[in-house]
Amino acid sequence: MSSETNGAAERFAIGISFGNSSSSIARLNPEGKAEVIANEEGDRQIPSVLAYIDGEEYHGTQAKAQLIRNSKNTVAYFRDYLGKDFKSIDPTPCHNSAHPQQNDSTVAFSICDTANETPNTVTVSEITTRHLRRLKQSASDYLGKEVNAAVITVPTDFKDSQREALIASANAAGLEVLQLIHEPVAAVLAYDARPEAVVTDKLVVVADLGGTRSDASVVSCRGGMYSILATAHDYELGGATLDKIIIDHFGKEFQKKHKTDPREDVRGLAKLKLEGEATRKALSLGTNASLSIESLANGIDYGSTVNRTRYELLSGKVFAQFTGLIEQVVKKAGLDVLDIDEVILAGGTSHTPKIAQLTANIFPETTKVLAPATFIGAINPSELAPRGAAIQASLIQEFDKEDIEQSIHPMVTATPHLQNAIGVEFTSGETVDFKALLNTETALPARRLVQFAVPKEGGDVFIRVCEGVREIKVTKPEPKAKEEKPAKTEEDEEDSDFDSDDEEEEETREIIWKTEKPIAELAVKGTKAGSKVELMIHVNADLGLQITAKEVGGQSAVRGAVEAPKA
Amino acid sequence: PSLPAGWTAEKDFKSVGSLSAATQRNLEPVGPHFLAHARRSRHSRTFSEDERI
Repeated sequence: MSSETNGAAERFAIGISFGNSSSSIARLNPEGKAEVIANEEGDRQIPSVLAYIDGEEYHGTQAKAQLIRNSKNTVAYFRDYLGKDFKSIDPTPCHNSAHPQQNDSTVAFSICDTANETPNTVTVSEITTRHLRRLKQSASDYLGKEVNAAVITVPTDFKDSQREALIASANAAGLEVLQLIHEPVAAVLAYDARPEAVVTDKLVVVADLGGTRSDASVVSCRGGMYSILATAHDYELGGATLDKIIIDHFGKEFQKKHKTDPREDVRGLAKLKLEGEATRKALSLGTNASLSIESLANGIDYGSTVNRTRYELLSGKVFAQFTGLIEQVVKKAGLDVLDIDEVILAGGTSHTPKIAQLTANIFPETTKVLAPATFIGAINPSELAPRGAAIQASLIQEFDKEDIEQSIHPMVTATPHLQNAIGVEFTSGETVDFKALLNTETALPARRLVQFAVPKEGGDVFIRVCEGVREIKVTKPEPKAKEEKPAKTEEDEEDSDFDSDDEEEEETREIIWKTEKPIAELAVKGTKAGSKVELMIHVNADLGLQITAKEVGGQSAVRGAVEAPKA
Repeated sequence: PSLPAGWTAEKDFKSVGSLSAATQRNLEPVGPHFLAHARRSRHSRTFSEDERI
């Protein structure tokens, strides 16, 4: 650990996503775009697998292929065992590879990793170190420069012991961990860092559909800052669940023809698993996929095809579990699907077109579902986490270690967030309309600036700053859903005015804003016809406000302060 | 909205309430905007001070 981190030695950082099933490495290329690096085998998603034959180490795809012939000396699905107590782990994913064993309080594997015949006990920390060392080597070879630092993504439910163990393992592999960042936030950053993206206030659901587990989280983006509002996890759902459907489908077909079940044979099952996964992935791209395995069972070769419709029919239940996880996390955050502006599908399983379509069905049409099947500009879901990590790595690699530590200290991250939205009330005749300026869950301190048109004839303008609460209005269809046109505003920060016309549903649901509590009143006098008024609201961390309003191009401004509430 | 008749206040500004309590949450220490926020809060600068530098 005490190697070359004194700031004097030059740092060269990359982003790493470290998963149970696969890992990726990424960097920011000289044009400033995040780019995922392929290893020497040409893989961008590098299987998190290590295998040993005669003392030689195999990694990634080569190691994964060893699951058939050399499963006892192959270690896979170990990320979630790191820093954990042996009793608390679920060894199910490792049934077909080296089994986890107890070693003191941690987890270890018994494998022949030397030319010797006797197996060695290798801890999961050591396995992780070896894995990260190979990733670092691949990145260094590609970039032609020694990589010595990284930002690594972790799931939101990673405990401190797991974080510490990961940092220790990375240090042992010669990598300085600049920061551990959460996978969903990395995914949001990967999208927000694109040059065409604009910083807006939005609520995003990130569904990370992985190989052996799936995670969903609700992230609020306010002024480019992110807070996680809720998370949900399913440790049994993932691509492997879908693979099982393919395996069963072909296994049954084989059994019908040849009277033996290849799933009962260890090697046959391993072969089916490996090829079944490839078939499933092919079905995400094409509408037909084939599977062929040499000597599947009893020395019989096997070849068959399956089309996407059939596969989607068989997987209906599992697909519903994925969408159920997304619905669950929205509910957990105390929100409605109408509140969600974007859904980011991340993780390898998000390539499945049907999952993206089903997800889009849950949400109103205004919600963007960012997945290859539903959004043309979507980023490859497998690459979101490593890209986000690479962007963060490039942002902080110049910083001193102290600076980074201070910045991510709870003193800085624990901030008050607005409970209610703050906005301006518009009264036009009978209807009172509310335009949110600072949305709920905005981290403080914050400020916002808006311009809005003055009434046609000009004159004196009255501004009423209020707190607002959003409500879901349910309208029965018979009297045509009342249209609520927002008042004449230029800046449409809110998509509060949609009428979702669901044919099947009996009622339409929409978001309306209710003004709750007036905060301050201002008057801008003598505005010219057709001009605009600019309003700036600044909220302090102690909930005090400063409000400034002036006519655009005008000289005098009206300003005032509202005191913080007394505790 | 135009000014209701008979509305007056000192310097055209009237404070009529205060915000309801905030909820404490953790920000994710990620992204350029957070780093700017961290820089401000560590040096206890305001937005406009930060822009000037």
